[in-house]
Amino acid sequence: MGPILEVSGLTKRFGGLTAVDGLGFELRDGEILGVIGPNGAGKTTTFSIIAGALAPTSGAVRFRGEPITGMPPHAIAARGLLRTFQHNRPFAGMPVLDNILVGAHTRFSKSPWRVFSASAGREEQESRQRAEALIDFVGLAEARAADVATLSFGQGRLLEIARALAGEPRLILLDEPAAGLTPAECERLAGIVRGIAARGIAVLLIEHDMRFLLPLAQRVVVLNFGRKIADGAPDAVRNDPAVRDAYLGEHAAR
Amino acid sequence: MKNLALWIGAALVMAAAPFFLGEYHGDLYRKLLLWIALALSYNFLFGISGQVTFSHFAFYGLGAYGAVILVVKAGWPLALAVPAGVLVCAAVALAVAIPATRLEGFYLALATLAFGQLFIVVLNEGGALTGGTGGLANYHLPKIAGFDLTGRPYTAVIVVLVLGTAALLRRLDHSWFGRACRAVRDNPEAAAAMGVNVARTKVAAFALTSALAGVAGMAYAFVDNTVNPPIFGLENAFLLLFMVIIGGAGRHAGAVLGAVLLYLLPFGLSPLIGHHHALVFGVLMVAAILLQPRGLIGLWDRFSR
Repeated sequence: MGPILEVSGLTKRFGGLTAVDGLGFELRDGEILGVIGPNGAGKTTTFSIIAGALAPTSGAVRFRGEPITGMPPHAIAARGLLRTFQHNRPFAGMPVLDNILVGAHTRFSKSPWRVFSASAGREEQESRQRAEALIDFVGLAEARAADVATLSFGQGRLLEIARALAGEPRLILLDEPAAGLTPAECERLAGIVRGIAARGIAVLLIEHDMRFLLPLAQRVVVLNFGRKIADGAPDAVRNDPAVRDAYLGEHAAR
Repeated sequence: MKNLALWIGAALVMAAAPFFLGEYHGDLYRKLLLWIALALSYNFLFGISGQVTFSHFAFYGLGAYGAVILVVKAGWPLALAVPAGVLVCAAVALAVAIPATRLEGFYLALATLAFGQLFIVVLNEGGALTGGTGGLANYHLPKIAGFDLTGRPYTAVIVVLVLGTAALLRRLDHSWFGRACRAVRDNPEAAAAMGVNVARTKVAAFALTSALAGVAGMAYAFVDNTVNPPIFGLENAFLLLFMVIIGGAGRHAGAVLGAVLLYLLPFGLSPLIGHHHALVFGVLMVAAILLQPRGLIGLWDRFSR
C-alpha cells in the first residue's frame, strides 16, 4: 500500500524569502509523524499548504494518491484530512457538543429534500452519540455543559482535537498541539495522540517541543530554514549532528 | 406524531383567534403574525448566519407586488401564480445572494441597503405595472373553490405561513445546515477547515431566508388589498433589525418576542407620548446592546434558571 500523504518538491516563496525549499516527505497509513524545527524553519507554512490554507509556489501534495495541491480547505477536509489550530479557534457562540458536530459536517448527507425526513433525524441522533463518545475520548466530560468561551486553554485544545476527529479523518494534522499546555496536560495529550493512532488514523504533528514529540512520534522530519535536514526514527534524529547543530548551535554540536 | 399534533393544535388556535377579536384587532393580529414570520427568517439570516443585511423588506415587497401582478394584473389562476411567485422570489434571492455574500460586515450591509433603495425606486417608477408612488389597490383575492377567504378566514393562510416558516427554520437550525451557518458566523476559517463550504453556506442562508420573506410578502398582498412603496422601505428594515436584536439574535423565541414587543409597544405608548415611540426603541436598542446582548430571551434564560 502506498503512503497516505506524499509531499514532493514543495517550495513556498514570500517575496525574497524562501520559507519552504524543495521539501519532500511521506506519511504511511496509521503512522505518527512529527515535523520539527526551530522557529522560522517553515513548519507552519508547510502545514498551511497541506491543509489548503496556502498555495505553494511549486511542488505537490498528494493525499491517498490524489493531488490536493491548490484545493480549498473544505474540499481537502471532505477527503478525510482534518486539522486543529495552534491558536484555538472554537465556534464561540455554540455549545461544546455542537462545536464537535460541526467537525462531522462532511459526514452528513446533504440533500435538501430530506430535511423533514425521519432518516435525517436518525442521522442527527447517531452523530450526537458519536460526538458524546468523542467528548469522553478526549476527556472533556466535565466541560460538556460549559460555555465554550469559558473553557481553559487546555480544554480548548482538546475541543479542537475532538472536533477534527468527528469528521472521521484518515489523517489528522495537529499544529503545535502541546504549545501552551501544562506538563500534566501534555502527558494527557500524548495519550490521546496514541489513542488516535490506535484507531488507525494517521497523525501529522507539527511541533517545536522535542521533549514532547520524540517519545511520541514513530518517525521525525526535521526542518531548518525551509529545508529537510533529517528524516528518521526519533533516536537517530536526536543524535544527528545536523539536528543538534540547528537546535543547539555550532558550539554545543562540536 | 405528538409533535405534529402540537403544531396542528397551535395552528387551529391561532387561526381561530380573530373570530374572538374585533375587526380592528383582527387586522392588527394578522399583521403581527406577518412581522413574526419576517423576524423568524431575518433572525436566521442575521442572528444565526451572521449576515447583516437591509434587503429583507425588499424581498417582502417583491413577493407582495409579484403576487398582485401575477394574480390580479395577469389574471393567473392561484394554483399557477403561487408557485410562480415563490419561484420568482427564490430566483431573485439567489441572484442577489451570489454577489452580495462575497461581501462581509459593513460592505454587505451597504450593498443590501443599496439593493433595498433600488427596489423602492423601481416601485416608484414602475408606471402602470407597480402603480408608481400610490402603489396598487382595490383588488381582491379570487375565490378559492368557491370560498371567499378575505378577512377573518384569511388568517388561516397567514398562520400556515408563520408556522411553516417556524417549523422549517427550527428543523434547519438543528441540522448540519444550521450548525454550518453558526460556524461560518463564529469563525469562517475554522468552519472551512471542518469541510464547510463557506461561500455556499452564506448563499444558501441568504437565498433561503430572502425567499421566505418573499413568500410572506405574497401573503401580505391580500391582507389590506393594497401595496405601496413606503411599507417596503428602510424604516421597516431597521425595525426588523431592532426586533431581532432586542428579542435576542440567534434564537427563534427571541425573534418572536422582539416582534411582539416592538409591534405592540407603539399602541401602548401612543396615549402617553404620541408618535415618538422611535425614541423609546432607540433607548431599548442601546440598552440591549450595552446591558443584555442576548436580548430579552437572554434575560428570560437568566431568570428561569
